[in-house]
Amino acid sequence: MRRLAALCGIIGAAAIAAALLPAASARALEVKRVKLDNGMIVLISPQHNLPMVTASIGFDAGARRDPKGKEGLASLSAASLMEGTRAMSADELNRKVDFLGSAMDVGAGSDYATASFTSLKRYWRDTLKLLAGVLTDPGLRPEDISRKQAEQVAGLKAAEEQPGYVAQITFLKEVFGEGSPYGHLPDGTVDTVQKLSAQDVRDFYRQFYRPESAVAAVVGDVDADEVVKALNESLAPLTGTVAAQKPSPLPPIGSGVHLTAINRDVAQANIIMGFDGIARSNPDYYKLQVMNYILGGGGFASRLVKEVRSKAGLAYSVASYFQAALFPGSFQVVLETKNKTANEAIAMVLQQMKRIQESPVADAEMDSAKKFLIGSFPLKLDTQNSIVSFLMQVQIYGLGLDYIERYPGYIRSVTKEDVQKVARQYLHPDSYILVAVANQSEAGIKVASSAASGKQ
Amino acid sequence: MTDGVRKVVLPNGLTILVLENHKAPVANFNVIYRVGSRNEQMGKTGLSHLVEHLMFRGTKKLKPEEFSNIIQENGGEDNAFTEEDLTAYFELINRDHLDVPIALEADRMANFEPKGFDSEKAVVIEERRMRTEDNPQDALSEVAQAQAYVAHPYHWPVIGWMHDVQGLTLQDALDYHRVYYSPQNALIVAVGDFSADAVIKQITETFSNISNGPKPPPVTAMEPPQEGARELVLKHAAELPAFGEAFHVPAHESPDCFALELASVILSGGKSSRLYKKLVIEKRMVVDVDASYDLLSFDPTLFWITAQMRPGIKAEDVVAAAEAEIKQLATTPVDAQELQKAKNQELAGFVFGQDSIFREAMMLGQYELIGGYKQLDQYIPSIDKVTPADVQRVAAKYLVSSNRTLGTLVPTGLLPHPSGGPGGGAVRHAPINWGMPL
Repeated sequence: MRRLAALCGIIGAAAIAAALLPAASARALEVKRVKLDNGMIVLISPQHNLPMVTASIGFDAGARRDPKGKEGLASLSAASLMEGTRAMSADELNRKVDFLGSAMDVGAGSDYATASFTSLKRYWRDTLKLLAGVLTDPGLRPEDISRKQAEQVAGLKAAEEQPGYVAQITFLKEVFGEGSPYGHLPDGTVDTVQKLSAQDVRDFYRQFYRPESAVAAVVGDVDADEVVKALNESLAPLTGTVAAQKPSPLPPIGSGVHLTAINRDVAQANIIMGFDGIARSNPDYYKLQVMNYILGGGGFASRLVKEVRSKAGLAYSVASYFQAALFPGSFQVVLETKNKTANEAIAMVLQQMKRIQESPVADAEMDSAKKFLIGSFPLKLDTQNSIVSFLMQVQIYGLGLDYIERYPGYIRSVTKEDVQKVARQYLHPDSYILVAVANQSEAGIKVASSAASGKQ
Repeated sequence: MTDGVRKVVLPNGLTILVLENHKAPVANFNVIYRVGSRNEQMGKTGLSHLVEHLMFRGTKKLKPEEFSNIIQENGGEDNAFTEEDLTAYFELINRDHLDVPIALEADRMANFEPKGFDSEKAVVIEERRMRTEDNPQDALSEVAQAQAYVAHPYHWPVIGWMHDVQGLTLQDALDYHRVYYSPQNALIVAVGDFSADAVIKQITETFSNISNGPKPPPVTAMEPPQEGARELVLKHAAELPAFGEAFHVPAHESPDCFALELASVILSGGKSSRLYKKLVIEKRMVVDVDASYDLLSFDPTLFWITAQMRPGIKAEDVVAAAEAEIKQLATTPVDAQELQKAKNQELAGFVFGQDSIFREAMMLGQYELIGGYKQLDQYIPSIDKVTPADVQRVAAKYLVSSNRTLGTLVPTGLLPHPSGGPGGGAVRHAPINWGMPL
C-alpha cells in the first residue's frame, strides 16, 4: 500500500473515529431512537440492501475505569465475558457462534466496552440471544478467567516487539500520568494484568455492565419494532446505572522538551511528539479539525506529509491527530524514519507547528480542507459497521440525529483567523513530550540544549 | 450477485465492468493493471511497487501529489496497492464527482511523467524498513517464501529486496509503465450509486483514445514440484519465537481449491477451529495461529500456517502439535456438522464482504482477471459441494512434509548488538541460501 500504517488500532476505536468524524451532504439516515425497558438507549437504522445485521452495545466499562494498579482489568473483564454463560461453556459458545457464521465479540476501548455482533439476517435473533446470554448471565469461571489472563499477558509480550506500540504506551504514560484514565492502553501491562484476580473481574462486571449508562446501535435488514422487542426480552435481566466518572487533572508539562529515549535494535526511529489535547465536547473541535487537516491530518494535502514525505523522502508515514474523546485526550505527531534522520524529521515537525502558529494558512488550503471535510461525509456512512459507529457517537457525544445536516455549517464557519488562533492555543512546540524508540547510538536524538529535561 | 454487472471491451482492449449499487450516495472507481512482482526480473525486484508510488508523483499536466489533492477536494479518498499478480488504484468518492477520478486515472495511464524520483524511492525504502526490517514475522515470511519458490517469481517479495530497490532508476520505471500501463493490460471496475449507462459512456469517451504500447511479455516460469522438506532459520531482533510453514498448492485452476479453502477455515476460522482450539485454548502455546490460502492467485500458490509462540514455548513443540492436527485432517474424515460450520462461515463472509463497495468491486475485478467475473456466482455453490472425503483427500495430497517449507524465527533480543551489527539501515536478515533446496 502506498500510505499510512494504521496507528489507530492501538488507541481505542471510538476515540479515533470521533477525532476523524467529518460530515456533509449525506443522504438522510432513517434512525429510530428508543429507550428500552431497562433504561438503555438504542438507535436503530434499517438497511434492507443486504441480508445481514450489525449491532453494538457500548457499556460505560472502558479502560478509563481501570483502578490504579489494575490497568488491563476492563479488557480482561470484556474478554472473560466471551467465555460462555453459567449454563454454556466457552467451547459450546464458540461452536455455536461459528456455526451461525456470525462474528461476535466483547472488547474494551479506552472509553467504552463494546459488545457487538455481525450476522446473516436469518440468524440475528440467535446471535443476539448468545450475546445477551454472556452479558446477563456470564460464566466468569476462575479457570476461564485465568486462561484469558494468560492470553492477555502473552499478547502484551508480543506487542512489545512492535516499536510503534512501545512508543505509544510510553507517550500515554508521559502525557496523562500513570494511573490516570487515559494513561494506558486497554490491555494494561504485564505487571498489572498478572496481579488481577477472578474476583476483580466479577466485581468489575457487576459494577459497570449496567444498561442505563449504556448505548446501543443496530443497523441492517430488520425492522425497528422487532429489534426493540428482541432487545427488551433478551436484556431484561440487566438493571441499574453507573455514576459518571470525572477526568483526573493532567500533570503539567513544563517548558522544554521532555525526551524518553528507548534503545532498540530497529532500522527506524519510531517517534511520537505531542501534549495534552481536547475532549470531543470542546467547542473548538471543528476549528481544530480544519487546522489539523492542514497541519498533518489531511494525508497528501497536509503540510507534514508534503514536507517530511513528499519533498524530503524521510518517512513513509507521518500524521498528526487529536484524540478527542469523552475526556481531554492527547495531540500526537507520529512518524517513523531511519535512525539517522530522526533529528531532521523532528526539526521539520517543529518547524511546521511554528509556521501554522505564526502565519495565516493560505486561502487555497482552507478551501481544500473544508471541501474534503464536508464532501467526504457520505464515505463515513457506507457500511453497516460505519453507520453503527456513527450512531454510537451521535448518542455518546449528544450530537443529535440531525448532525448530518448541521455538520457542513460547523466547518463552513471556520475562518483563517480561527485556524491560527487554535494553532496558537493548542500547539506547544516549545513544551512537548518526545518519545523515540530507536537504535539510540545511530539516532543520537538531540534536543535543544537549554530545554532538555528528559530521561534516557 | 453478478446479474447487474455490465461488461464492455473497448477497441483498444480496455475491459470495463460496471455495477449499480444504490445503498449509499458514493461510488468506487478502480483501475487494475495486470502487473505485479510476478512480472519482474531478478535484480529489479520491487519495480511494480515503486511504479505504483510514482503514479502519484505527477503527469505531463499534474504536479506531484496533485492527483490526491484533487480527489480529496472532491470529497474522495484514493489509494493503491501492489500484489504479486496485480496493481490496483482506487477512489471512493461522493457519487456526484465520479467524473474526477475517471479523468485523472486516464491521464496517468496515458501521460505518466513522475517528478522527484529520488525522494519517492527513499519513501519506499522507509516503507520496507517499517513493514519488513522492523517486523520480525514479515521478515520471516519473506525468507520462507523465497525458500518455497526457487524458479517462479513468487520467490521475491512484492516490496522488493532492499538492494534491488536502491538500484532502481527513473528509466526503469518509465520503461515498465510503457509496457504494462496500457489499455490492453488494464481492467476498470466501477461500483456505486450511479447510472451504469452514463458511467460506461463517460469511461468509454475518456479512455478510448489511449493507445497501446508493446504487448507485455507472458510470464512463463513454472515452479517445479517440491521433492522433500525444506527448512530455514531466521535470526532477527525479536523476543518471541515464531514459525511459518508453507505448502505448495494449486489455486483457482484446480477444483481442489474449494476443499483447500474449507481446510483453512476448519483449521483456523474462528475460536472453535482446530488449530485455535488446540494451540491457543487447550495447550496455551501460541499468541495466535493462522491458516491462510488465496485461491485467486494467478499461479499455483502456498497454503500457509503461521504462529507466534508464547514466552517460554519452543517452536518445535508447536510445529509438532500443528502437524498432528494436519495429520488428523488427512487421516480422518471431518465430521459433517464441522464441515457445515465451515461452509456457513464461508457463506456469511461472502455476504458480509458485499457490505463494502470497495470489496465488491475488488471481488469482481479479481474474478475477471482469473477467467471471468461470472465465476463469482459459482463460488458458494462450489463450496457447498465439497464433501468430507474431498477435505481429507486434499489434506493428504498437499499438506505433507515433503511439500513443506518450514521457517523458524530465532529471536536475537530487542537491544542492539554492541558492535553495531552490519551497519546502519542495512538489511539484517541472516544470509539464507535462497534458491537452493536443502
